[in-house]
Amino acid sequence: MILLEINNRVVEETLTVKIKNAQAGLKNESIDVKVADFDGVLYRISNLNGDKSKIRISIALKFYKQLQEHGADELLKKEYGSYLIAPETGYNVSCLLDLENIPSNWPDIVKKIGLLKRNCFASVFEKYFDFQEAGEEGHKRAVIHYRSDETLYVEAKSDRVTVVFSTRFRDEDDVIIGKVFMQELKEGLRASHTAPPVLFSHREPPLELQDTDAKVDNNVGYVTFVLFPRHTAKNTRDNTINLIHMFRHYLHYHIKCSKAYIHSRMRAKTSEFLKVLNRARPENKSTDKKTISGRAFIRRD
Amino acid sequence: MDKLPPCVIDVGTGYTKLGFAGNKEPQFIIPSAIAIKETAKIGEQTTRRLGKGVEDLDFFIGDEAFDATGYAVKYPVRHGLVEDWDLMERFLEQCIFKYLRAEPEDHYFLLTEPPLNTPENREYTAEIMFESFNVPGLYIAVQAVLALAASWTSRSHEDRTLTGIVIDSGDGVTHVIPVAEGYVIGSCIKHIPIAGRNITYFIQSLLREREIGIPPEQSLETAKAIKEKYCYICPDIAKEFAKYDSDPAKWMKKFDGVNSVTKQNFSVDIGYERFLGPEIFFHPEFSNPDFNIPLSQIVDDVIQNCPIDVRRPLYNNIVLSGGSTMFKDFGRRLQRDIKKTVDARLKQSEDLGGGRLKPKPIDVQVVSHHMQRYAVWFGGSMWGSTPEFYPMCHTKEAYEEYGPSICRHNPVFGTMT
Amino acid sequence: MSATLKPYLTAVRHTLTAAMCLDNFSSQVVERHNKPEVEVRSSKELLLTPVVISRNEKEKVLIEASVNSVRISIAVKQADEIEKILCKKFMRFMMRRAENFIVLRRKPIEGYDISFLITNFHTEQMYKHKLVDFVIHFMEEIDKEISEMKLAVNARARIVSEEFLKRF
Repeated sequence: MILLEINNRVVEETLTVKIKNAQAGLKNESIDVKVADFDGVLYRISNLNGDKSKIRISIALKFYKQLQEHGADELLKKEYGSYLIAPETGYNVSCLLDLENIPSNWPDIVKKIGLLKRNCFASVFEKYFDFQEAGEEGHKRAVIHYRSDETLYVEAKSDRVTVVFSTRFRDEDDVIIGKVFMQELKEGLRASHTAPPVLFSHREPPLELQDTDAKVDNNVGYVTFVLFPRHTAKNTRDNTINLIHMFRHYLHYHIKCSKAYIHSRMRAKTSEFLKVLNRARPENKSTDKKTISGRAFIRRD
Repeated sequence: MDKLPPCVIDVGTGYTKLGFAGNKEPQFIIPSAIAIKETAKIGEQTTRRLGKGVEDLDFFIGDEAFDATGYAVKYPVRHGLVEDWDLMERFLEQCIFKYLRAEPEDHYFLLTEPPLNTPENREYTAEIMFESFNVPGLYIAVQAVLALAASWTSRSHEDRTLTGIVIDSGDGVTHVIPVAEGYVIGSCIKHIPIAGRNITYFIQSLLREREIGIPPEQSLETAKAIKEKYCYICPDIAKEFAKYDSDPAKWMKKFDGVNSVTKQNFSVDIGYERFLGPEIFFHPEFSNPDFNIPLSQIVDDVIQNCPIDVRRPLYNNIVLSGGSTMFKDFGRRLQRDIKKTVDARLKQSEDLGGGRLKPKPIDVQVVSHHMQRYAVWFGGSMWGSTPEFYPMCHTKEAYEEYGPSICRHNPVFGTMT
Repeated sequence: MSATLKPYLTAVRHTLTAAMCLDNFSSQVVERHNKPEVEVRSSKELLLTPVVISRNEKEKVLIEASVNSVRISIAVKQADEIEKILCKKFMRFMMRRAENFIVLRRKPIEGYDISFLITNFHTEQMYKHKLVDFVIHFMEEIDKEISEMKLAVNARARIVSEEFLKRF
C-alpha cells in the first residue's frame, strides 16, 4: 500500500453489513459505534431517537467552523442532498439512512458517506479553485487549523492556487527523515510533467506567510504546492483534492514506514553480527549421537 | 482538545481484533495473516526480504492476504507469541493506517499479550510502537485479565474482582488460566488440545459417515456452519439420545447449502451431532484417543494447584471467553460438573473426619455473558475508555527517558467504577 | 576498500591482538570478587596506557587494556544528519540486545558510539583471533550498512514523492 485510501473503511463496512442484514430480512439491532479518522475526525453511527431502523451517521471535525466559512455546508448539501439531517449535538454534520426504505443505489450512497470527511475538506479547495478560474484575486487567504498545531493555508491568484501545509514532527529524528522526503518532493517535478511544483522550508514559514502567525520552530516544516489551472480545472480537481487533502498523512505514513524498514534492516544486520560473533565460540564437539528413534548411540570399541 | 479514543488491538494466533475503545464490538476481525512477495534469492531470510525501494510496502493483511495471488501467506504470531517481528511491524502498519485510519501520534494504544509472554517481547513491542509509530502512550494488557474484566458487565459493582479462572477457547487450543488479583498464576496454567477446530473436524467425520450429498471440498465449511448454528450442550447424552429417538421431527434439523461449483442445492440432515460436537469438551475421548480428561476435571485440577487462599474465590468466578465457549448451556454444564467434583471432595473430607466437622460448602459459579466471543477485546475496549486508563499507560516521554525496559511491567488496572 | 581503511583496520587488528593478553585476576579490594579492572579502575598498576587509533577526525577507536579486561570503543563515521540518526538508532538498537552479544557494553564510553568489553572469561571461552575478527568485521560492516541504509531511505523518499506527484 503506497497511497492511503481516502474513504473510511469502518463506516462503509458497518453500513454495508447493516443494509445487507436489513435486506435479508433480519431484525434490526441497535447500533452505537464511535470511530476516529485522520485529523482528529470522529464518526458516530447510531440510531436516531432509538429507532432501530434509522441509522444516523455523524461526523465531528474540530475545524468545521473554519470550513463553514468556505462553504462546506453548501457543498455537502449538493453532495448528500436529502440524506442530510440536522446535526446531532456535539457533531457537525449528520446523515440519515432509513433501513425500511433502502435506495437501490445504496452501494453508492454508502461509498459517499465513507467520503464524508473528504467532502468536508473539499469545500475550501473548491472555493479557491473557483476563484482562480474566475480570475478573482485579492481574496483573503483561507486558514484551516486542521490539527491542533498544524495549519493549512490556501490562497488563489488568477493563474494559480497555492496550498501551504505546516506540519509538526513529534520526534527529533523524524525531522531529519522528513527533510529527506520533502527534498525529494521538491525535485519530484522531473518525474512527472503534470505535477505541481513543490517547495518546502524547514523551521521558517515561506515568504507568503511571513506576516502571519505561522510558527517558527525546529520541528515544523512547511510544504507549498503551487496548483496551476491544469490541476484546478473541473475535470481534474476531484483528483487534486483527493491527493492534496491526504498529503500530510501520506508524508507521515511514509516516514513511519521508513522507520519500520530501518528496523527490519537493523534486525537483519544484528542477527548477522551475532552469527559472526558466535563463530568465535569453539564448537562443542558432542559425541553422543542419537539413533533415528531417539535413543543414544554409544560406540563400544 | 479532548482526547481521541484509544486504539485497542488484540492480535491472536488466528484472528486479530481491532477497533476503538468505547465500542461494544471490534470494528474489524481479520485473520492474523500477512501476504508478502518472497524472492528466491540466496542468503538469510531476513536479509532476503529487505528488497529494493518500497517493495516492503507491497503486502496485504487479513482476508485480503488470502485473495492475493503470487504472494506467500505468513502468520507472524504462533501460539499467541509474536514470532516474526519484521512482519508484525508491517502488519501493525496496515492495521493502523488502512483499517483503523488513525494517526498513531494522536491515539493511545492498548495491545494484548498472552499469559507468560516474555519481558523481551514487551520491549520489542514498545520499540515498534514508540519508535516507528510515535504513539503517545502504550499499555500492554494480559489477555486473561481483560477477559475477566469483560465479565463485569454481567455482575454487580461489588462483585468486580480480578480474581478468577479464565477458560479461553478459540479455534486452536483451550487455555485454563488462573488469575489472582490481576496477576496470572503462571505455574498453574493448563492447555487442552480441544477447541473449535476439533469440534468442526469431529462433526465433519460424523457427517461423512452418513451424509453423501455434501461436496467434499465444502464439507469443512458445512461442518463449521452447522457447528455455529445448531450445536448446543446437553445435560446428559443418554437422555438426549432417547429424546431424539422418540421425537425426531422436533430435534432433527436440516441444513441447506449450495454447491459452489455446480450451483446446485444440497441439504443435510443434522441429528445427534448437534449435541455430540461440543460434547467433546466433556468427553474428549470421542475425538482424541490420547486425551481423556474432561474440561471440568481440568478446571478443578488447576484450582487445586493454586495457592490455598485463592481457591475459593477462583471457584466463585469461572469466566468464559472465546468463540468456542458460545454453545448454549456450556456454562451451566460446566458449573454442574465442577460442582459435582467439589461436593464429592467435601463429602469425602467430612466422612474422613468422622462427620464431626462439617466443611463450609464451596460456591461454584461459571460466568457467562454477552461479550464472550470478543471478551478480550471488549475488556480492553472497556478499560481503554475509562479515564483511569491514561495515567496507567507508558508515555513516549517516559520511553525516551528510561528506554523500552519500562514496558516490562504494566500496572494492574485497579477497580473500575 | 579505500586507501586509508586498510591500514586503519590493520592497526586496530594488531593492537587488539596484543591487548587480548588477559589473565584471571581477583579483585584487590573485595575478597572473592573478580571485576573487570578496566571498568572499576581500582588500581593504577593494573591498567595499561590507552591507545587511540584514528583514521580521521570522526572515525577512531579507543582501546583500553588492563590486566583482565579490554575495552574497545568505536566512533563511527557520520557524514551528515541522516547518517547521524541512523547510526544513533542502530547503535541503540544493538545495545538493547546486548545480552545476546555477550561482549557488547550497554553504554558507550563518552565521545564514542559503541563500546565492547572483553574480559578474560570471554577469551577463555572463545577464540581470541575470532573475537578480533568480529570487531574488525563489525567496523567494516557498520560503515557500509549505514551508508546503504541512507541510500535506501533516499530511494524510498524519491519513489514515494514521485508516486504522489505522478497522480496529479
